[in-house]
Amino acid sequence: MSEKLYAFFLRLYPARFREEYGEEALQLFRDRSRDEKGFLPRLHLWFDLLFDVTISLPNEYFHLPAPRTVTSVPRRLNGIPTFHVLQGQPVRPGALLSGGVLSFLALSTCWLSLNSSIGSYHSASAQPTSSWTSPESASAGSSDTYANDSGSTGRYALRDNQLSTAERKRLVAAAISNLKSHYYDRAAAQKMADALAAHEKGGDYDSVLDGPAFALRLTQQMREVVPDRHLTFDYFQDSPPPPPGRYSTVLDQDLHTAKQQNCTFEKVELLPRNIGYLKFNFFSDPEDCRVAAMAAMTYINHADAVIFDLRDNRGGYPAMAQFIGSYLFDHPEYWYNPREATTERSWTQSPVAGSNLADKPVFVLVSSRTFSGAEQFAYDLKMLKRATLVGETTAGAAHAGVFHRIDDHFGMAIPEVKAINPYSSTDWAEVGVEPDVKASDATAIDVALKLARLRSTPSK
Amino acid sequence: MPKRTLDPLPSAAFQILLALVDENLHGYGIMRQVALQTENRMRLGPGTLYSSIRVLLENGLIEESGAREDTDTGDERRRYYRLTSSGLKLARSEAERLAGLLRVARAKKILRGRYV
Repeated sequence: MSEKLYAFFLRLYPARFREEYGEEALQLFRDRSRDEKGFLPRLHLWFDLLFDVTISLPNEYFHLPAPRTVTSVPRRLNGIPTFHVLQGQPVRPGALLSGGVLSFLALSTCWLSLNSSIGSYHSASAQPTSSWTSPESASAGSSDTYANDSGSTGRYALRDNQLSTAERKRLVAAAISNLKSHYYDRAAAQKMADALAAHEKGGDYDSVLDGPAFALRLTQQMREVVPDRHLTFDYFQDSPPPPPGRYSTVLDQDLHTAKQQNCTFEKVELLPRNIGYLKFNFFSDPEDCRVAAMAAMTYINHADAVIFDLRDNRGGYPAMAQFIGSYLFDHPEYWYNPREATTERSWTQSPVAGSNLADKPVFVLVSSRTFSGAEQFAYDLKMLKRATLVGETTAGAAHAGVFHRIDDHFGMAIPEVKAINPYSSTDWAEVGVEPDVKASDATAIDVALKLARLRSTPSK
Repeated sequence: MPKRTLDPLPSAAFQILLALVDENLHGYGIMRQVALQTENRMRLGPGTLYSSIRVLLENGLIEESGAREDTDTGDERRRYYRLTSSGLKLARSEAERLAGLLRVARAKKILRGRYV
């Protein structure tokens, strides 16, 4: 079906192009279809193709080569009847317009079907793809963290958390399938899949009847093969999964109120002895809050030391963490992000024009509530020896794995890329970020102020 | 209708020339090689790919090296393309042009860090 659809798009190209390359273009489509299986890869493929049609089609007509002296009979594409202009003249503008409208309609249809299919998997509102947030937000679902890979309807009764043999079998099969499809290291995924299959065959799960214990067992057994803390098999009692944490905010609220609340920059102050103090509780989307962040950083630009208060920060967009971090260096530094493979964008955008903060002492207040993206900010500054962390060990939520929903009770977080961590073999996943100076939640600010006064050199 | 020129060399055409430096490839092989060498930033669709191939062929920068079975799948006969000496020369001169630009950028100190 999809091949016929693409053959239809090919019919929009000039006859000369179809004649010379139509069959090869179809073959390329078949090759990619064969290699790019699964919902997202297939979606990517269609976006690529539609984009390609939109770009190359006008180009082909505009740069139409001179017709050949002898026009051979064009080949039929995959049995689909084709329309040929034997004169080799460009088609009428009307036909071009039709092609454009058809492309637009096809693109719109794809987009709408994508929205509706994701919407049917979870009812949560649209969370942008690259945010790290508090447990509620994560459980509320995001387009990249909620994909129903099992193909099941997801609705079934789990009485007293008891799993039947058939359910356990289905879950192990789903775990194996998800691992093979999504884990970044194919060989390791195969080993884990083999181990799970062997455990099931050996009857290891026969006595594990309740959901939480089953999820824990699977997680442990995967990690026996590959000690990856970002890889988890998770259990949720209700549908949709309830917040496993103790916070009350949700991402929807974060997104809606962020702008109204100055992008959560709760306090931007210059304290006595010229110490800049920033308290913000969410790393907002730079698209919306770049100006607010720049204003906050500009306000403290001439401070002699800076304190970032992240004790109540629930995480957010890694891009914002990197954006703020960029002010603190005079050259690009590698900014570790466990969710992304290393690219040119993995370096800070330092130096930031006009920033005076690159050589000023930095302190980050952390607590057990400091979560996810906020932990990344603290971790990276600590590893780069750019900040002194004051407070308590953080929550330990890396959210590096992309969440794949299996059904109403189970899901898996699977790292899909290998992020290079040059600082340590582990990050803060499950263990949190240790402060450099331990202090209780109540006293952290005083301790940091004292340290800041000691270390800062008053500017003239 | 204006004929497509290769001055300046379009990015897709340059990538195709680079893809063919090491070995002769068929269309899909070129697409994969380009994706690999650009870290997936450029995934040539069939329209762009074959349109560029045609222009490169017309300008004598690549040539067909005959049809044969694909070594990976072994099941279909495919048209392979190879770089000509003119193609290699043009790819080299384009690379040198870009290297010159990079030198200017370095001299202006707009590039710092380990990634350059």
